[in-house]
Amino acid sequence: MTHTTLLQLLQLADSAIPIGAAAHSFGLETLTSESILNPDNLENFLTDWLEEAGTLEAIFVRRAYTGNVRDLSDELSARKPARESREASLKLGRRFAQLANSIADTQIPLDLHHSIAFGSAAAALGIDEDATVLAYLQQSVAGLVSACQRLMPLGQVAAARVVWNLKPAIVQAAFKKEVSCFTPLPEIASMRHPSLETRLFIS
Amino acid sequence: MIRAFGRLVHLHNVSGGILAGDRLSLEVDVAADMQITTTGATRLYRHRAGAEDSEQRVNISIGDGATLEYLPDPLIPFAGSRHAQRTSISLGRNATLIWWEVLAHTFDFERLQISTAIDICGKPALREDYLLEPSKRPLTSLARMANSTHLASFMVLAEGKTSDLWSIMADELRKIAPDNWGISKLAAGGVIARALSSTGRHFSNELAVLRNTASLLVTGKPALPPRKVY
Repeated sequence: MTHTTLLQLLQLADSAIPIGAAAHSFGLETLTSESILNPDNLENFLTDWLEEAGTLEAIFVRRAYTGNVRDLSDELSARKPARESREASLKLGRRFAQLANSIADTQIPLDLHHSIAFGSAAAALGIDEDATVLAYLQQSVAGLVSACQRLMPLGQVAAARVVWNLKPAIVQAAFKKEVSCFTPLPEIASMRHPSLETRLFIS
Repeated sequence: MIRAFGRLVHLHNVSGGILAGDRLSLEVDVAADMQITTTGATRLYRHRAGAEDSEQRVNISIGDGATLEYLPDPLIPFAGSRHAQRTSISLGRNATLIWWEVLAHTFDFERLQISTAIDICGKPALREDYLLEPSKRPLTSLARMANSTHLASFMVLAEGKTSDLWSIMADELRKIAPDNWGISKLAAGGVIARALSSTGRHFSNELAVLRNTASLLVTGKPALPPRKVY
């Protein structure tokens, strides 16, 4: 990877990139509001989340390098039964593709899931595949931890420590080949999110 | 063994459960309205050294205009069992599927692989691949089942229905489902309801209520009671 592509990857995977990720909790708001998720169990939760949902997203980032991205996106939609989380992933994908097409002159379709748009943009820019998958997972957990900072008493240092400690789990998830994902509790939490009385997040 | 009562079909397993190394296969072409159920829970027995993992393959094709209700009793993997369940369902034009499934995690099974693929007119409508190995990846994790032992899923998929119908159905199911149920529209035409519980005792009644409401909305007809007592 060249110095330039490394810098491009760092920018695309920056959690501050303006695609609206800060508005989504992917069901974590429900789990927090019901006192299931808290600062003490967050790291263990995200370790197991990476093993299941992280692996799934990593495989689709990788497949975007060579596959038909629209077919991949249709398949990933079928793998996301919770409407809010599915639509959040598609919204982030659209905003990400718009941004990449605007600043990097890529031609990423606007109707892809975030992971597939991310992989597609990185492939178009010649960014190393393994590095792209790792960076995607890193920004995913950073986004979820950031959401948790607004949902629970989780300080900046504690949040940074969680993301730091998750790196071995990120590496494990990034290199699995078999698609499997079993996350019924967060999935049901996402399905129930529209019924929460007070919501900070869209999903 | 299969017993058919007109449009109602009961699946029996004469061994009383699935044994290590068993290979079960069910191929169904649905051309009219049909209901498939079982006579009791599908029990997965302990794996035997040297035997292959047991496997159940179900391939269902629901033809144009046909409706299938696939309503099996719970899947119960016993201690030490190793099993794969692979289900593939395709829906043609104006076809309808009503399906429920309950997984009971009440024993320390070794390995359970569940793969589900539902297509509507060749397009993926639902894909699920679970690899459950509780000794390696505890199901008690908050990212999985937490302290629940039972997972119930109910879904309705149909070709040719409007998005409005699915919104109405999701709203109606939300009104009648207990708080632990999540209800959601699927991407490619359908609704799913899913719940976790530390007991499976209430699921049969709750699923029946969801089914009755959904059946009226999607087929215009009340649900046909299965020919058995729960």
